[in-house]
Amino acid sequence: MTSSNWIKIFIAALIGIALGLVYGWVLAPVQYTDVTPNILREDYRVDYVLMVAEAHQNEQDPETAARRLAILGSESPAEIVTSALNYATNNNFTQDEIMLLQGLLTAMQKYQPQGIDAP
Amino acid sequence: MRLFLRNSILQIILALFLGLGLGLAYSWLISPVTYVDASPAILRADFKDQYRVVIAAAYESSHDLARARVRLELLSDTDPVGALSAQAQRMLGNGESDEQVQPLAQLATDLQQGVASISSTKTPAANVPFVSTPFAAISKTPEIETPFAEEVTPTTTTEFSEPTVVTTLSFEQTPLAPQQLFTATPRPTATPNRTIGAPFTLVGQDIVCDVNLKSGLLQFTLTDSRRRQVAGIEIIVTWAEGEDRFFTGFKPELGNGYADFIMQADTIYSIRVVEGGSFVPNISAPTCTDSNGATYLGGLLLTFQQP
Repeated sequence: MTSSNWIKIFIAALIGIALGLVYGWVLAPVQYTDVTPNILREDYRVDYVLMVAEAHQNEQDPETAARRLAILGSESPAEIVTSALNYATNNNFTQDEIMLLQGLLTAMQKYQPQGIDAP
Repeated sequence: MRLFLRNSILQIILALFLGLGLGLAYSWLISPVTYVDASPAILRADFKDQYRVVIAAAYESSHDLARARVRLELLSDTDPVGALSAQAQRMLGNGESDEQVQPLAQLATDLQQGVASISSTKTPAANVPFVSTPFAAISKTPEIETPFAEEVTPTTTTEFSEPTVVTTLSFEQTPLAPQQLFTATPRPTATPNRTIGAPFTLVGQDIVCDVNLKSGLLQFTLTDSRRRQVAGIEIIVTWAEGEDRFFTGFKPELGNGYADFIMQADTIYSIRVVEGGSFVPNISAPTCTDSNGATYLGGLLLTFQQP
């Protein structure tokens, strides 16, 4: 084969790869249906934390609140609530909502999982 | 083979398909699209269950039905009320406590009736959902700016318009699932209050002879003072050898205040409605006669109502 033929084959392969990438990433990407909450978009995460805070206001059960927050990732409950509180403060949440999050943050900062002695 | 080697068009087509295969393999297997901004709708089923529990627990505290409804819509359930009821039944079946199940049943009932079980005590301004919700905060579209100030009146129930769907596509890590932004459009509606805590009293005890029903079917209907059916009320049935506890509202297709129990022949039962402590002793399955003169075990319908 001549070198011009090789160039044509190489260009054709490149076009094929490009088409494959466009199809696989844009037109028909892998569909995820069973994801875990740690990859929730930030506003959804914060709303989830706010729900936990609302429930905590009624239940006053740090154990349950910490367990509910744990599904959001490997960070500590206090860190998760701190992130949510920062988001809420920067995005004009109502004062009531910020106070709920602050209440939850205080509870999570004091909370010690069972079996671990407080320092 | 020789023909193939000499035919440059075939060579180019083969190279094109080979490249296509490599591209697909890379984009689907080696480096598939990574989700970093997922919506609750694509959560795994057990996490969706957890999400519903938290929504119901938050609602139990805030009594903000509109907000609970929108939060449930994020899960994209075909029938949010049915999903709540089904989850409550599953939890009961798994032996979880009544305390954990009750908020789900209550939220399902309130969503079905369209009113919060207890009116929110918040001020109207504080009670409006999405004044500062995260969904509003991330929006860059003008559609979600709603004239709350002009339209809101001191009521607790609102209706919502269809969600605005915004789809973002990019090679960089971006959500490929449609992101739903919900636009709240409050419209004032009546907000009836349920009588809380009044005891349920037996107002009807009817024999039901229907061969199409299960033998010994004991049916309960619990209504409030306005004759609206009430879900989430615990009923205890006791007899000489045992006891059974269950709640109204887990068969919403038969009514929010409906519950049932199968009685055995020649067994005396006592009924207690936990909320208010109404007690009905000496209940037993009646004997009925069909059109051919044969006897069979009939049923009872007990109707309880709050005064």
